[in-house]
Amino acid sequence: MATTHTPVTTPTTLELDYTPQTAPPVVDVDGPPKVHYLNHSFGWLSWLLTVDHKRIGILYLIPLTIFFMCGGIAAGLVRLNLIQPYGAILELDQYNKAFTAHGTIMLFLFLIPVIPGVLGNFFVPMMIGAKDMAFPKLNLASWYVWMGGAMFFIAALLFGGLDTGWTFYPPYSSKYSHTNVIWAGLGVFITGFSSILTGLNIIATVHKMRAPGMTWGRLPLFVWAMYATSVIQILATPVLAMAVCLLATERIFGVGIFDPSLGGDPLLFQHLFWYYSHPAVYIMILPGMGVINEVITCFSRKNIFGYKAVAWSSVGIAVVGFLVWGHHMFLSGQGIYLGMVFSVLTMLVAIPSAVKVFNWTATFYGGQITFEAPMLFTIGFIVLFTIGGLTGLFLGILGTDIHLHDTYFVIAHFHFTMVGGMMFAWQAGLHFYWPKMTGKMYSDFWSRLAAVIMLVGFSLTFLPQFVAGYHGLPRRYPYYPVEFQMMNILSTAGATIQGFGYLMPAVYLPLSLFFGRNAGANPWRATGLEWQTPSPPTMHNFEELPIVTHGPYEYALPSKFTLEDGHAHETKGGNGGH
Amino acid sequence: MATNAHAEGEGRQPIVAHHFNNIRQQQASVRFGMWVFLVTEVLFFGGVLCAYAACRIWYPKEFEAGSTALNPFIASINTFLLLSSSFTITLAIRAAYKGQRDGLRLWLASTIVLGTVFLGFKAKEYYGDYEEGLIPGPQKTLVDDVDATGKPVLREVSVFAVNLKHVLEHKNAKAKAISDKMTWNERDRTQMFFVFYYSMTGLHVIHMIVGLGLLVWQLILAQIGFFEPTERHVYIEVMSLYWHFVDLVWIFLFPLLYMAGHHSMDGAF
Repeated sequence: MATTHTPVTTPTTLELDYTPQTAPPVVDVDGPPKVHYLNHSFGWLSWLLTVDHKRIGILYLIPLTIFFMCGGIAAGLVRLNLIQPYGAILELDQYNKAFTAHGTIMLFLFLIPVIPGVLGNFFVPMMIGAKDMAFPKLNLASWYVWMGGAMFFIAALLFGGLDTGWTFYPPYSSKYSHTNVIWAGLGVFITGFSSILTGLNIIATVHKMRAPGMTWGRLPLFVWAMYATSVIQILATPVLAMAVCLLATERIFGVGIFDPSLGGDPLLFQHLFWYYSHPAVYIMILPGMGVINEVITCFSRKNIFGYKAVAWSSVGIAVVGFLVWGHHMFLSGQGIYLGMVFSVLTMLVAIPSAVKVFNWTATFYGGQITFEAPMLFTIGFIVLFTIGGLTGLFLGILGTDIHLHDTYFVIAHFHFTMVGGMMFAWQAGLHFYWPKMTGKMYSDFWSRLAAVIMLVGFSLTFLPQFVAGYHGLPRRYPYYPVEFQMMNILSTAGATIQGFGYLMPAVYLPLSLFFGRNAGANPWRATGLEWQTPSPPTMHNFEELPIVTHGPYEYALPSKFTLEDGHAHETKGGNGGH
Repeated sequence: MATNAHAEGEGRQPIVAHHFNNIRQQQASVRFGMWVFLVTEVLFFGGVLCAYAACRIWYPKEFEAGSTALNPFIASINTFLLLSSSFTITLAIRAAYKGQRDGLRLWLASTIVLGTVFLGFKAKEYYGDYEEGLIPGPQKTLVDDVDATGKPVLREVSVFAVNLKHVLEHKNAKAKAISDKMTWNERDRTQMFFVFYYSMTGLHVIHMIVGLGLLVWQLILAQIGFFEPTERHVYIEVMSLYWHFVDLVWIFLFPLLYMAGHHSMDGAF
């Protein structure tokens, strides 16, 4: 692998190489290009039959937002019900269905596809200087497959619901539940295939479509993260598909593979399930970590600290993530020695995760930090993800897990990594790339306010759950002792604030399409290849094949453009106001 | 790149798709994509093989009985057919690479015929299993049995267990010996082997049907001269990768399902 981050010249000589890392944004003054990917053709068929990776990214964005709202409403119902010890608004089976709907929608229909589907589709080809994904038709096909699977899912939830929890543990799911396990399982199976196809496409794209000079050492770290994510997707998802197949077989034919009364073993299902579903949490968090690299370097005006360490830590998380699934089954009857091995292996995941956090912190050091909305979300991510990661260690240790297993402590830990981590990273990515995707700039004030509100609401929701879980409040129970009521009320209040926080981008982002000012090609003065294209990008992204001569984050070198035309880029810490 | 000149080839559409820079990049991407897909498929079958292995370790006796009840003769013929089809599709690549349209059509057609005959035999085998009643299910019936003290009792067992007993007793002496050593509980539990038998071979059959569909499509394309620019032999090549994979899965399934009994240590001494 080529070493890529040694500057060609040292900035002490007069023969500075002022080759611009970012080509001058040619359309900055003239506004957006006349013909771009959004307006080169019209009509709903031009969207539904498109093979353009950018349009497919937008195709993912819209239903994902709707599913997030649905999952959020289900979460709201659960939280509202929990403000009273004996349930406030829901019947018992309704409560089971509400938390199952929340879990399944958020995981299978939002967290797993959100960044690979939207930002991965849109930006991986642009970041490596390609015109499209390696297999554009397959890309569109995987959107259709995903939508088809999602429809099965939504139908299962609407017509009768599902009450197994998102984990589908047999024998409850295969024998006793009277809800739509088969249809939901089919939804998991089909959306899983979409996930596999997207991963396959991204891997092939990164391997084969890089522009000349775009070596592996010059890939943006978002691409590294997406690559690691895709590896997990193609290796883990088929096993879940098989587990769901076997579960469906057992449920339909009444024969025992997992049902102990028929000779099967429920632990076998848990092994197959977590062999996917533990790596799946890295499918969810790794793309978010990738986005964080892009945002931190841009708003610190610095190269990333330890490029290789961050890049390989993504791969490390992907690899080690496959070896730790057994820590979900410490108390499920798995052998105690097996539990010890899994406990030790679980500790290993902390290493690459911590490498990332330390490198991000070191990137801040000495940077010229500005606090635009993406940066606020990113700082929120780092704080919340660190808390979530460290509390994960409590759960990975055998002894403490016996106390904390299946309590609200687990809920709080998981939401700190998935909402505090992934959701904040998604917001950071969406706010960072919105000007590139739409060509419009959103409101600076409201976006920063939304970041703060989400952070406050999130902390208020889930910090009390750590305490409640530590004191033994079990998860998934509709009733609880009266002494936990205060904690639950705090949590519900926080969830309400959070809800308002999530509604805000749903208002000001669409409004920016009509009232926002033109963003220009490179509003954040970022260095990546994707910012060298006009906003919104044209059909084939690049006018001519780009030749890459630098690493992705060469912020430290002064570019010729900023020296000569500095006035075009005054941001004063904001993104331009009205 | 010199290959750029081929971009405006004689085919109805350009050989190099709009988003590739040259034919080498396109060919490499196509090959690479198929390999990555096959990795996924390995993991897909890996899941069920893993469950199979766990259950077989727990219940060797039941798996031996289930395997003995199957028909290894048809399966052996099928193995031969499928291995031959892997050979013919390799010849198809060679024909496409050399631009021999007749050869390409011949070898694609041979592959399709061999695959279809495989499916025909497989259907016959499934029908035989169906006629023998070796279908797992919840239906129960009553049989005469003796309890621990030797007193005759009526016992509720699955219909499958009765059918299995009947099949094994009328097959041959070895099968009867296996059957005689089994309790009714074990006969009931042999359903698990048949769940694996049907799901594993069923998934394999689905993969074969998909493969045959794609082969027919490629045969039509060969007929209209799509593969005349020989750069497009890469599509035949990735088709053959998939076909070899399906073949390979069968090579795993054959011993796991049909030879599980004959290699069991239990009863060998």
